[in-house]
Amino acid sequence: INHIVHNGGLYKRPFNEAFEETPMLVAVLTYVGYGVLTLFGYLRDFMRQWKIEKCQNATEREEQKDFVPLYQDFENFYNRNLYMRIRDSWNRPICSVPGAKVDMMERVSHDYNWTFTYTGRVIKDIINMGSYNYLGFAQNAGACQEAAAKVLSQYGAGVCSTRQEMGNLDKHEELEKLVARFLGVESAMAYGMGFATNSMNIPALVGKGCLILSDELNHASLVLGARLSGATIRIFKHNNMQSLEKLLKDAIVHGQPRTRRPWKKILILVEGIYSMEGSIVRLPEVIALKKKYKSYLYLDEAHSIGALGPSGRGVVEYFGLSPEDVDVMMGTFTKSFGAAGGYIGGKKELIDYLRTYSHSAAYATSMSPPVVEQIITSVKCIMGEDGTTVGKARVQQLAENTRYFRRRLKEMGFIIYGNEDSPVVPLMLYMPAKIGAFGREMLKRNIGVVVVGFPATPIIESRARFCLSAAHTKEMLDTALKEINEVGDLLQLKYSRHRLVPLLDRPFDETTYEETED
Amino acid sequence: MNVGVAHSEVNPNTRVMNSRGMWLTYALGVGMLHIVLLSIPFFSVPVAWTLTNVIHNLGMYVFLHAVKGTPFETPDQGKARLLTHWEQVDYGVQFTSSRKFFTIAPIILYFLTSFYTKYDPTHFIFNTASLLTVLIPKLPQLHGVRIFGINKY
Repeated sequence: INHIVHNGGLYKRPFNEAFEETPMLVAVLTYVGYGVLTLFGYLRDFMRQWKIEKCQNATEREEQKDFVPLYQDFENFYNRNLYMRIRDSWNRPICSVPGAKVDMMERVSHDYNWTFTYTGRVIKDIINMGSYNYLGFAQNAGACQEAAAKVLSQYGAGVCSTRQEMGNLDKHEELEKLVARFLGVESAMAYGMGFATNSMNIPALVGKGCLILSDELNHASLVLGARLSGATIRIFKHNNMQSLEKLLKDAIVHGQPRTRRPWKKILILVEGIYSMEGSIVRLPEVIALKKKYKSYLYLDEAHSIGALGPSGRGVVEYFGLSPEDVDVMMGTFTKSFGAAGGYIGGKKELIDYLRTYSHSAAYATSMSPPVVEQIITSVKCIMGEDGTTVGKARVQQLAENTRYFRRRLKEMGFIIYGNEDSPVVPLMLYMPAKIGAFGREMLKRNIGVVVVGFPATPIIESRARFCLSAAHTKEMLDTALKEINEVGDLLQLKYSRHRLVPLLDRPFDETTYEETED
Repeated sequence: MNVGVAHSEVNPNTRVMNSRGMWLTYALGVGMLHIVLLSIPFFSVPVAWTLTNVIHNLGMYVFLHAVKGTPFETPDQGKARLLTHWEQVDYGVQFTSSRKFFTIAPIILYFLTSFYTKYDPTHFIFNTASLLTVLIPKLPQLHGVRIFGINKY
């Protein structure tokens, strides 16, 4: 059963999100796993201290042992005793373009992951389920690459200046006009780094005396930008509109903390797709709240631009809303466009203000010309202005891949988080040993996945995250699904009891657990 | 800030005691300890109960009130480095449900132990002393207090 909420006609299509609860036995076993690892960690630390075992992490020199400690021993406990054991699932060196298939350099470790040596062999054609390559533009051949190569021979690789000095190329102007047209906003500005777009522009928009309402699971760049700005930050529960409305009401009724003065600005920070949960923001409700309480909305579409919507214009088009309702539309070119950098789109006055006052504009080097050309070509391809239907085909292929992959994984019995339409698919692993085992088993079967554990996620919610791509053909997905099925049986990962939490009248938070125990 | 994590929680240690299944795991752990001690043929039932109580309180003291800081790096610039886990729970807010549970658990264990040792004086002294070592640090008045400078840095 999956009740679908229409919420007074705000949603034009069903909003299907599910976060199945952790089975109690699995939670208990996960804690037991962490407990055993902690006890063994203490034992190994004891042996290292008494020189029974060789100590391989950084320590001070003998003559410095009496000084104030340089390295915090206990803060490194998790790193030494848990992360080191499964470290080979991360930082894997790849040596080809990260498209649908990727080559990886094989490495082995003879001292339990403290050091790695390369065997010299290259593992070829690993199915890449980890790259943010949503529309498949991470290619080293094709129209985008040819255009970028031409621009490289014309403009060179470096710009050697900031936007405000000598680094404002005609290519940048062309890009910004194109991005504004793509998004449906008045004007846009592009920056060289997606992280820097958030962290350097939020301080330009809000300051002391303003209020930022940010989602629980916002990305580190948004958190950093919010903290740098000096505004008051209040956090609402993930995608929970009741929590957001309560915070808005409290803020407007009570004003600033001591002086009770009205807030200068209220800015709501949300993301289009949350990459660790695979959930999509409830944008119609956020916009309704924003209009009712007269606050501003900052939408970070890092993962959703190009990946959602019938023509790839992002989460605003997915819900059928108007881009004018979102005050600041931010996004990155790293994920769907196969390039690097970020943009901010909005009204002309806002973007002109940012051109003058943003730290990125004043101090950061502008984007490199071949990268700009890659973005221009890929955006034109998505919009269909290059004369082919390749862009539209890619967007449709991604949507089909998403639906197919999610449906098959749910049928197999895995617990999958997130919205039905999001191309980010987190598969729950829960136990710490399974994190390492899953990464290694999938690599043995020639599939590259990204796994995440504590403390990046809550302690019992470690997961493997698949990012689907338009470049994945159905055969690749079937191979991947077959291997995931095998590994799932081997590691006993099929926890789902098909008891999807029905979408109630209010969204999912910890108080809904009690009602669904039947 | 919050490097490498997918949430805006500054110190995940504060939420560990509230997570799903933690209380059950703790209760099962104590039960397991007791069964192991009961299985050793040299211990009579009162001795096994007293040992359970004492070992449980010793473990609780070490992990909640002696070990300071977090086993991973946090973006709070060291605010929690000098705090024990008990002081970190829920960011120092007193009388939350986790704090109440972990205060009541040793008391219940003490009641059971007193019953099964038939209120014998020697056992009583050991059990009460051990209960006090684990109850006094939990008092809100002792939040952040280090007696005689023990365990300060």
